[in-house]
Amino acid sequence: MEDKHNATRDKVSCDRKACPVRGVMPFLLGVAVALVFGWWLFPALLYSEQEQPVNFNHKTHVANAGLDCSHCHYLRADGTFSAFPSTEECAVCHRVLIGDSKAERVFWNDYVRTGKQVKWLVYQKQPDNVFFSHAPHSQQNCNNCHTFSTKELCGFCHPSMANGTPEYKLNRLSGYTKDTMKMWRCERCHANPNHLAGTSANNACFVCHK
Amino acid sequence: MFDRRDFLKFIGGGAVGTLATPVIWQGLDDVSIWTQNWPWIPRIDKGNNKNVYVRTTSKLCPSAAGLRVRLVNGRPVRALGDVDHPLSRGGLSALAAAEVQLLYSPARLRRPLKRSDDGTYVAISWDEAQSILTEKLAAAKAQKSLFCLSGDENGTMNEVLSALTARAGSNDFYMMPSDAQSTAAAWRAMGGTGRVGYDFANSDYVLAVGAGVLENWGPVVANRRAWGQARPADGKLAMRVAYAGPMQNNTAAGADLWLPVRPGADTAFLLGLVHELAASGSVPEGFAPLKDLAAKWDAEHAAAVAGIAPASIVRVAKELREAKAPLVIVGSETGQGCPAAPVILGIALNIMLGRLNRDGGMRALPVAAPALEQAMSYDRMMQQDFMAAAAAMAAGKRAAPALFLAYEANPVYAMPAPGVDKLIEDAGFSVSFSCFLDETARRCDLVLPAAMGLERFDDVVTPYGVGEAVYALSVPVARPLFEARAAGDVLLTCAANAEMKLGFSSYLNVLRAKVRRIGGVEWETLLKGECAVTRRVEPVLELALPMQILKEAAQAVPDKPAKGALAVATVTKRAFGTPDSGLPPFATKLVGKDIAGSALTARMNRATAEKAGLREGQMIRLSAGKASIPAKVVLFEGVAQDSVALAAGFGHTDFDSFNDGKGANVMRLFSVVEEPGTGLAVWSCPDVTVAKA
Repeated sequence: MEDKHNATRDKVSCDRKACPVRGVMPFLLGVAVALVFGWWLFPALLYSEQEQPVNFNHKTHVANAGLDCSHCHYLRADGTFSAFPSTEECAVCHRVLIGDSKAERVFWNDYVRTGKQVKWLVYQKQPDNVFFSHAPHSQQNCNNCHTFSTKELCGFCHPSMANGTPEYKLNRLSGYTKDTMKMWRCERCHANPNHLAGTSANNACFVCHK
Repeated sequence: MFDRRDFLKFIGGGAVGTLATPVIWQGLDDVSIWTQNWPWIPRIDKGNNKNVYVRTTSKLCPSAAGLRVRLVNGRPVRALGDVDHPLSRGGLSALAAAEVQLLYSPARLRRPLKRSDDGTYVAISWDEAQSILTEKLAAAKAQKSLFCLSGDENGTMNEVLSALTARAGSNDFYMMPSDAQSTAAAWRAMGGTGRVGYDFANSDYVLAVGAGVLENWGPVVANRRAWGQARPADGKLAMRVAYAGPMQNNTAAGADLWLPVRPGADTAFLLGLVHELAASGSVPEGFAPLKDLAAKWDAEHAAAVAGIAPASIVRVAKELREAKAPLVIVGSETGQGCPAAPVILGIALNIMLGRLNRDGGMRALPVAAPALEQAMSYDRMMQQDFMAAAAAMAAGKRAAPALFLAYEANPVYAMPAPGVDKLIEDAGFSVSFSCFLDETARRCDLVLPAAMGLERFDDVVTPYGVGEAVYALSVPVARPLFEARAAGDVLLTCAANAEMKLGFSSYLNVLRAKVRRIGGVEWETLLKGECAVTRRVEPVLELALPMQILKEAAQAVPDKPAKGALAVATVTKRAFGTPDSGLPPFATKLVGKDIAGSALTARMNRATAEKAGLREGQMIRLSAGKASIPAKVVLFEGVAQDSVALAAGFGHTDFDSFNDGKGANVMRLFSVVEEPGTGLAVWSCPDVTVAKA
C-alpha cells in the first residue's frame, strides 16, 4: 500500500518536473476564464439593453440636417433645461414625412399625428443628492475662456451622443445607465485649478451636493 | 489529468484574473450606488415638462414673503423669491423656501380624526367631521360659549373666526400672542390711531432693540433685501444698523454696532437713550414727565444696569441725532410676550427724533374695515389677550368653554404656561384645524386637516412691522394633498348648518368682499400676484405718554441676575420654523450651534461659564421655578455677561420624527405675568439656576 502511494506521487511529481508548462496551465486557464468572464460576460450580464421608443439618430439630424445640439436641447429663459424636445417641437420640421425610412413613418404616425409625447429613455440621470443644472455649464459661461462649439462642449459629458443612435444600457445593480457621469468626470473641470479664477466652479462638496 | 492541485491552481488563476477585470471594482461601486436608491424618494419625471411659475404670498412664514412657485407639470417643486413683491423683494426666508417641501411633510394631517372613547384617534369622513362640528357649534351657540384661537397673524380668516365667535354669543376670539399685540397695546395706551408700521427700507439709521430685524422680526425678508440694497459692496453706505440684544445673532452680525444689552434690561437702555437725547436738545411738548423720569437714567446708570459701556449709549444717541432718517424699533427676541412699556419708549424716541409719519420713520398705517359685519375690528383683535383668558380659566375664575377651536395654532407647544393644556382638557369639546399633527392637535377631540397656504385662497393684510399698508392674495398653486380642505370653507358651511350664517357661502367670497373693502385694486390684479400698497398714513393728532406704565416699568427693571443665576437670552430664527410648522427641511446648515446632537446648547461666554464653574461640553440642567430643561454648555463670546443663550423652536414632543426629541422647549422656563399698567400678559424673563446634570 505504502509502495503504491509513493509510486503515484513520484509519477505525478515526475510529470510536472518534465513539463513545467503543464504545471502552470490550470492557473493560466483560470486567469483566461476570469478575463473572458470579467470583460465579456460580466458586462453583458450587468447591463440590460433597451431600445428607444423611436429609432432616433443624432448623426442624421446634426450632419445631414445641420442642426446644433441646442436646437432641440436648450435652456429656457428662466434657466431651466428643456431636456428632450416635445413632439410639438419635433413637428416643427416633421409636420410632413421627411424621407421614407421606417423610423420616420413610425414617428409621424404614432406621435406627430396623434400629438403623443415620446417616452424617451434618459441616458443620464443624476441622483437626488446631486444638484446639477445645465445653466452654468453653457457655452456662454465656458466660452468666456474657451472656444468650444456646441458639439464639443456637449460632447464632454455626452460623448456617445455623436454616434448616431447611442445604445441605452441600464445597469441592473445600480439602476443608472452606462452613460451616467461619475464624480471623477465632473472633477476634470471642477478640480482644475485654472477654473477657480474665472468661475465659481470649485470642487467644494456644496457646489454640487445640497 | 485535472487533479485537486490543478483545480486549486485554476481557482487561484481565476481570482488573480478577476482582479484585472471590472467584476470586483465595478461590482462594488454599483452595489454602493444601489444602497443609496431609497425607494421612498419621490421620482420626478425629468423630461421636457411644462414649467409654470405662480406668484403668491407665503402664509406659512410670518414674514409673508412673496413667492414665485415653480410647477413642473402642475406639481409644485420649488419656492423662489418674487423681486416685484414688496414683502420679499426677491428674497426668501428659510421657512418660505421650504414651503413646497412641507406640503409633503410626514407630519401632515391626512384625514379628519376623531378621538374615540378609549382615547385613540379613528379616521372619519369629512361628512361625519362636518356633522360633528356643526352639532358642537350649535351646542356652543346655545351655551354662548365658543372659544376660538387663531394662529394666523395677518389674514381675513381672523374675521371669519371672530364673526363666528360673535354669532355664538361669545367674545372669546383670540390670536396667538405676538409683538403686534404688544405694539398695539403701546400705541393704544398713547392714544394713537391706526396701527404702527416701521419704514425700515427708507431709513438711514435703524436702532433695533430686542427686535431681530435681520433674522426673525416682522417682514424680515423685505428688511434683509432693503439692508443689502442700501449697502452695496462698491457703493455708498445708505443705511446703518445698531442692534441692542443679549446675543450676537445674525441681526448683530449684520449690524454696524452690537450692544450686548442684558436680557430684560431693554427698558434701562431705552431710558438711557431718552436721557441722552433729552439732555442734548429740546423735548417735544408733553414729554417733560418722560424727561423727568429719565433724569436718573444717565448713561452711566443705564449702561451699568444694561451691562454695556456708557459710551455706547452716548454714541447711539449721537448717531440717532445725526442721522437724516433714524428709526427706532423695539420688539422681543421670541416675537411674543413683549411688554408694552419698552415699545412705548421706542415710540417716544421716534417722536423725540421727529420721525412720526415720516418716510423712513415710524408710521401710523390705516386699517381696513372688516369684510364681515360681525367680525372684530383690528383694534379689538389686538386687545384680546389669549394668555390672560387661559390663565383666568386655569385659575377657575372663568368657566371653561363648551367648544375650543384652534386654527393653525399650536399653543400647547408655544406658550409658556401649562394653563393651555388645562383649557383644552376642560373644554366641553375641542377641535383643531391644522396642517400638521402637532402638540395641540393631539390634545383635541376632533382634528381636521387644513389645506396649506399653497393649496388654498387666502390673504395677507399688512403684516406686522411693515412701513406701508399692504394687501396681497395667497392663491392655490396645487390641489390640497391627501384629504385636506380649506378651513374657511368648512367653517362657513358648518356655521350655516348650525344656524349661524355669516353672510358668505365660501371663503373666496369673503376675500372678494375684503378686496372691495381695501379698495383701489382689482381682484384680477391681485390674482396675478400683484399687491395693493398704499403709503397713506393716519393723521396723529394727539398723543399722550402713559407715565404710570413707564414709571412702573422703570421701577421693575432688574438690577442684575440673582447671585449664581443666569438671565436667559432666547434665539429665534426663521430656520427653526414656527410652532405650527415645526423645523423646516434643508435648515441643517442654518441651525449651527443651536443644538448639539439631540441636546439644546446653552451658549455663554467664558467668564460667565467660569463664574458658574462650567466647562465646554458639560451637560447641565437649567431651572426656573419648578421647570427645568437639559442643555449642553457651549462657550461663545457673543453672549452678554451673566446670560445664557437658548434657542426657541426645539423640543417638540408630539410632532414628527424630525422634530421630536431634538433639543428642549425653552418656553418651559418662562412664566406669564401681568404687566403693570397695561394688564397685558407678558413673558417674564427668568433668572435660571444651573445644576450639573
